[in-house]
Amino acid sequence: MEADSIAQPMEPTADQIDSADLLVAVLGEFDSKGIATMCDAFRTLAAKLRVAVSHEAREESAAPVNAEPTQESASVFFVPSLLAKPSSLATGVQSMSDTYQSVFAAADKLQARGCCIIASKLEAVTPPWALRMAQPLFEGQADLVLPHYARRKFDGLLNASIIAPMTRALYGKRVNNPMGPDFGVSRRLFQRMLTARNGGPVGGNRLHALASLTPTALCQNLQITEVHLGTRSYSPTDWTNMSSVLADVLPPVFLDMERNAACWQRTRFSAPLPAIGEPVFSGPDSATVDIRPMVESFQLGNRELQEIWSLVLPPSTLFELRKLSRLPLEQFRMPDELWVKIVYDFALAHRLRTISRDHLLKSMTPLYLGWVASYANDLLPSGATSPERRLERLSLAYEAGKSHLVSRWRWPDRFNP
Amino acid sequence: MWEQVKHALVDSTTRFLTRFASFLPGFAALVVALLVSFVLAWVLASIVRRVLVGVDFDERLERWGYASLAEWSPMNSPTRLVSRSIAVLVILSGFLIGIAAFDFQWTYMFAQSAVAYIPKVLTSLLVLLVGNVLAAFLARSVLIGAVNLNVQYARFLSVGVKWIVIVLAFAMALEHLRIAPGIVELAFGILFGGIVLALSLAVGLNSKDLIAKSVERDVTKATREPVEDPLRHL
Repeated sequence: MEADSIAQPMEPTADQIDSADLLVAVLGEFDSKGIATMCDAFRTLAAKLRVAVSHEAREESAAPVNAEPTQESASVFFVPSLLAKPSSLATGVQSMSDTYQSVFAAADKLQARGCCIIASKLEAVTPPWALRMAQPLFEGQADLVLPHYARRKFDGLLNASIIAPMTRALYGKRVNNPMGPDFGVSRRLFQRMLTARNGGPVGGNRLHALASLTPTALCQNLQITEVHLGTRSYSPTDWTNMSSVLADVLPPVFLDMERNAACWQRTRFSAPLPAIGEPVFSGPDSATVDIRPMVESFQLGNRELQEIWSLVLPPSTLFELRKLSRLPLEQFRMPDELWVKIVYDFALAHRLRTISRDHLLKSMTPLYLGWVASYANDLLPSGATSPERRLERLSLAYEAGKSHLVSRWRWPDRFNP
Repeated sequence: MWEQVKHALVDSTTRFLTRFASFLPGFAALVVALLVSFVLAWVLASIVRRVLVGVDFDERLERWGYASLAEWSPMNSPTRLVSRSIAVLVILSGFLIGIAAFDFQWTYMFAQSAVAYIPKVLTSLLVLLVGNVLAAFLARSVLIGAVNLNVQYARFLSVGVKWIVIVLAFAMALEHLRIAPGIVELAFGILFGGIVLALSLAVGLNSKDLIAKSVERDVTKATREPVEDPLRHL
């Protein structure tokens, strides 16, 4: 009989759909070859494990990959999409969060021991990378597996400037990509996420699957592991929509801060997370950017938005920003301490609802662009420093500024020059 | 003849005294109504003042962009303005109730039309309040949106939008109060049209060069090879 490793595709039977040990939800764009490679890799997991793969765009005529389970390999089968369609009203990050929540619900329905969400595409597809997200759930008893992508100079700037260093300072763990988007989640954690979301308030401060996953695991002292992966593909920047990006991504982060205030106010220092695999380097990166438009945006914001910023930022910060806006292009550098104070003050204003939250975060756009321009200046080819060292300095500044945040969080009406 | 004069005098004195006597209960009622309304006004004003101080009304108004209201207010305190306005309203209501006690037709009619006018005044005040809040919100939205789109005349646009909404709200309030409706309609049309025309001219004239450069950029972009933007935010 011919050994045919690529068997005829089989429709899953009823009892296969009822349960699985691992649910892999593939949300990113993968062709059938990529899916097949991924499934082959999953079969190398421990014997007798049943892995259910859910992929929206799976082609019926594509490979397998429903091989029979053997003593040496796990069985991998496709399941009809168990994921609920996100509400048509939800867009962007909220839509992604709804999808993640439906993955957790599907994993719970399948009584899975863990679920793996693959949402991004690596530039260099290496077969085991998706498997490495799932392995620590079974072999290392991890509750949450986070990715650590190889970083290029200008990748993931919102994460690098605000989300990751703030998570590190608040919760005391050096997380590189707290918002994934690729995750490995244990049953214990996804059940807690489901319970918290279903039992929590409706609308407003509801648990956000994407933004709250890492802070929930950190606050509940669950086991978290990072996995070194390659360089991720990012979608191109839509410059006309920058303010919407900020207004979409930051609210759940700030709402989580409010929800977990009792937890993060206690932490003092940060510690690294256990990591699996060797760091992957992205190779030489000679990309340069034209910072002029960003500096001009910052200067325009400084001229026209003083009235709004004065409701959020103290006079000393406004003074520093005015000084900064007068600097020539080549000397444009925003000190880390200034940026950290700005982010913390905006987080506080978000909590106090000083002004409409949508207006608040959109008015932050020129400040963010100012930081990006300053960061680009710091990484000029002529010299100065690598992105990792630069961002490590920023993270330390976030940690040093935490006492300012705690003080203002507890006593927001106290005199703040 | 003296008898007739005496008779006429007695008659008119009797009539006067009768009218005065019938006027006295009404007057007493007016005094009582005023006294009660003064006491009620004082109580209500105190309660309102305490509530507004408790919610930091003055600071909140300033944060919402109504700092100018403090300049119109007694002792620069909008809280006092609101509490005193409520007190005046209560006293006025007491006065109207008091004069309605007189058995004079014209006072009754005056009181009736004044009382009928109060809901219109309240509705107009509500329209003005909502209009001002909406104007401030829209002005801020336009300002932030225009700055994020690198529009240099963002503040001008924002002020224009604010005044359009405020003028609209004032016109609606005056229309509701039926104060010279024809003149208000005409004045509003001219003013509103003038503001919109001024904004259009300003935007159009300022954008002339911008549009020319944008078209030129599009033409050269089509012939040039695309350059990938290395910045990735998310």
